[in-house]
Amino acid sequence: MVAPLYTTASGLLFHAGKILIVTVGLPARGKTHISRALERYLRWTGVKTQVVSLGDYRRKTLGGAQKLPPDYFTLGEKSPETIALRQKVMDGCEQIIWDFFNSGGQVVIYDANNGTRERRQTLAEKFDKAGIHIVMLESSCDNNDIIMGNIRSVKISSPDYRGWDQEKAVTDYYNRIRDHEIHYQAVEETTWPFVRVINVGEKIMVNNIQGYLQSRIVFFLMNIHNQYRTIYFARSGHSLIEHSYKADSDLDPAGWEYADRLKEFVLDRRAKSLKARGMENEDRRLVIWTSARRRSHHTAWPFLQQKDGPRVKVVEKPQMGEINPGVWDGMTPDQVRKFYPDEWERFVKDPYAYRAPRAESYHDLCVRLEPTLIELEREKEDLLIIGHASVIRCILAYLIGLPASEIPAIEVARGDLIEVVPTSYGVHSQAYHFWDGPGRSNGGSGKDEHNFYENYAEDTQGKRRPEVAEVVQAAET
Amino acid sequence: MDSDRNPREVTPAKLSLVDNALSGVKLDPHLAVPRVHTPPAMFGAGGPMLKQFDQSNAASRVGSQAATPPRSVVGIGNKVAKPDYSEAKIVVAMVGLPARGKSYLSNKLMRYLKWLEYDVKVFNVGQLRRSRARQKAQESGKHEDHTASYFSHDNVEATRLRDQLATDSLDMLIQWLRDGGNVGIHDATNSTRSRRAKIEERVAQEKGFVTIFLESVCDDPALIAANVALKVSSGDPDYKDMSREEAKADFLRRIKQYEAVYETITEPHLSYLRIINVGNQVTVCRIHGYLQSRIAFYLMNLHLKPRSIFFSRHGESQYNVEGKIGGDSPLSERGQKYATALPALITDNIGDAPLTVWTSTLQRTILTAQHLPYNKLTWKSLDELDAGVCDGMTYEEIEHAYPDDFAHRDEDKFNYRYRGGESYRDVVVRLEPVIMELERQENILIIGHQAILRCLYAYFHNLPQADLPYIKIPLHTVIKLTPKAYGCDEERYTLPIGAVDTHRPKPGSSPQLQLSGTGREYYGEKA
Repeated sequence: MVAPLYTTASGLLFHAGKILIVTVGLPARGKTHISRALERYLRWTGVKTQVVSLGDYRRKTLGGAQKLPPDYFTLGEKSPETIALRQKVMDGCEQIIWDFFNSGGQVVIYDANNGTRERRQTLAEKFDKAGIHIVMLESSCDNNDIIMGNIRSVKISSPDYRGWDQEKAVTDYYNRIRDHEIHYQAVEETTWPFVRVINVGEKIMVNNIQGYLQSRIVFFLMNIHNQYRTIYFARSGHSLIEHSYKADSDLDPAGWEYADRLKEFVLDRRAKSLKARGMENEDRRLVIWTSARRRSHHTAWPFLQQKDGPRVKVVEKPQMGEINPGVWDGMTPDQVRKFYPDEWERFVKDPYAYRAPRAESYHDLCVRLEPTLIELEREKEDLLIIGHASVIRCILAYLIGLPASEIPAIEVARGDLIEVVPTSYGVHSQAYHFWDGPGRSNGGSGKDEHNFYENYAEDTQGKRRPEVAEVVQAAET
Repeated sequence: MDSDRNPREVTPAKLSLVDNALSGVKLDPHLAVPRVHTPPAMFGAGGPMLKQFDQSNAASRVGSQAATPPRSVVGIGNKVAKPDYSEAKIVVAMVGLPARGKSYLSNKLMRYLKWLEYDVKVFNVGQLRRSRARQKAQESGKHEDHTASYFSHDNVEATRLRDQLATDSLDMLIQWLRDGGNVGIHDATNSTRSRRAKIEERVAQEKGFVTIFLESVCDDPALIAANVALKVSSGDPDYKDMSREEAKADFLRRIKQYEAVYETITEPHLSYLRIINVGNQVTVCRIHGYLQSRIAFYLMNLHLKPRSIFFSRHGESQYNVEGKIGGDSPLSERGQKYATALPALITDNIGDAPLTVWTSTLQRTILTAQHLPYNKLTWKSLDELDAGVCDGMTYEEIEHAYPDDFAHRDEDKFNYRYRGGESYRDVVVRLEPVIMELERQENILIIGHQAILRCLYAYFHNLPQADLPYIKIPLHTVIKLTPKAYGCDEERYTLPIGAVDTHRPKPGSSPQLQLSGTGREYYGEKA
């Protein structure tokens, strides 16, 4: 349960105090991937979090690897100048960490090798003295394929190797990290709480983790993976009465037609993208999540009816119902303004945090969706979420890494299929426009002039819309 | 479009009904209280709109283009089937020396997963041994010797017997999984590599079955001593004719016999979870799959510190007095009295110990907690079961407007989802993170609602889903639960402040709720 109910006077969440997560691991062990994923998750839950990367800082202040003295990365005796240079980089990073904590930040993920016990102890003692909780987060690998894959996909595209020959860069990098192995000390000391992640989650060891926020962090790390998959989002079809939460109305005829078209389009898109990656359609299953609302579950109905085609599993999730409008159910924004002027004004001022009477705020919705999010991280199959605009907004914001305040403004138009592919450092997202009809018109703005009663929260208008690829339907032209 | 020709079309004319109804409401400018019911909920079951809407699109379902379209929700709700858990087939094999809390963990895990509606059973090898020995003794009059020497690996005959018991117990477990179970917990020491290899090999023969080993390691002498003391003082039939001192000595000898051959899990290919001193250190290895990761996370969050959990409903609310369900009404006069009297009751009970109060976001719980001198937190997840279209109505009104639907809910209350609202199952799903947090915390007082407290109470007392909606949680009563090794002790304190009774028994029956005891089962279920 992630909720601001734990907000303390200091603005910190969950009574967890300030936490310094010290990453430990040789280069190319996925520290940055884990750090960024954790940062995205914690920020989405409202915790002020910052990754401080030693590598990035060094590159910013000193430039790429070719500008460094030759003994910067090698082992053994270093010249006094190099020692001073390295110290300067570390001090600079630590200063950034202090600055972030002092300006109200709660969690810092210090992304650096921290490969010796002595280095970790010095660092931890320094911050522990200031009352900051320390957690060691080690990522290690004994599988060379994972390491080489990581070097090829991530490391040689780093600015350190701009303009290098690819194979040369791989060799150089591999030599750089091989040297480190000799002096590397795994986290075996139990002085500080630790989480050790081995081979990207194959094995996880946890020592003395205290408190709610730290346990959430561990659960999150237990569930992330880096296998290739695609996540699709589509809104449910148009229903008989769009504006009532309570009526839970079924699809209207246009909605049923939309459901058929969605099925065809998703299967077609997916077949193409699998083919492009050389995968067979039959190898993988498509998992579909819907809410327990009729309009959402019935939009998945055509998938259940197909006789052949890829394997599909449909799961109904009661946690994924749309945002509850409370006493505003069934009203247009105009009516709400008329009957609840003060509440409406507060809602408009802060649509993310304001909770109308008996309603859910977007924050409440995010809290409700959090267990689903962990399941989404864990899922390895391709996933299609047929949902409501408010729900898709929250999940997209998490995947893309948008700040909470922007969630209510994300545009999720009916008739767009949003395709999201997670990668090491974020996601690729792309929307495909495949359908026009009630609930979507006026050039894709999503506003339907014939629909008088669209639920304010399910309105499709928004400032931020994923890039849309227009897909011309042969049948229509 | 002509609405007469196409009854499923929702036209401006039809929806103007809503506008007209809304504009008919006069606002009182002097009204100080929040206008909770101004204007009225348009699609509530008390108004005409819902029925009109259902009637107007009844025809659309008949003429739908989709092949065998699924049913829409009509009226005030419908029964919802349990989700399909048939894919889940998990063998949880315990590993650990005696007195390391294996049975405790098995039992906790079983309660948690049963509450989430998985079919779970513990297969305890010790129980099987005792009940077989008892049977043998009854038939032949011969008592087997089950003192420490029986557990020695030098005792070839006994070792063979014990191996046979473990194998039989695993076979029973697998048969039970084949017959529809979800999670079978093999509660035995499984202390050697060869034993674990046998389990793994046996389970791998079954398609779709997964094994997880759960090792409980304990090197805290105080914890072991407490477990030993519990074992010899709790009426274990193995020690029936011995003094406590003798029993303790024998049990410690038995532990020694196991220690001699014990091998902690180091097999790198196994899927396992190792817990050291209940939650202090945890290793999670090759845990894949949804349910497995839930199990791991749950076990990571347990602790053994003594504490109590207090439940109280909010003080009597104005809606309670009027017999209405749902809503967000303030307290009645008697409810306010309860709120005033509550701090003394709690403080008398708990003394100086720290306590945190959890309320929902509804004002009747917040008002009830207002005088309590403790840290208070508000949870949206603790809000009362959402009665959807029936919110704000009395049971009589619902029965009058929708007599058939009303009867359906009584038939299967746990599975019944109010239209535009929730079922008890939905509430359980929503409360799962609360349970997780409750396991992590120490002394907690929850000021909650009837349906919410029923769900939480059922978790702690291991009550079946069918009985859950009928658990008695009266107003103006504090329920104190104290977790013990194999269940919870319960005390109830009722304040002498009158309140209405909001409990509706299941029509035509008076189920007697059987509370599970806090003692340990030594022979397994009665046949």
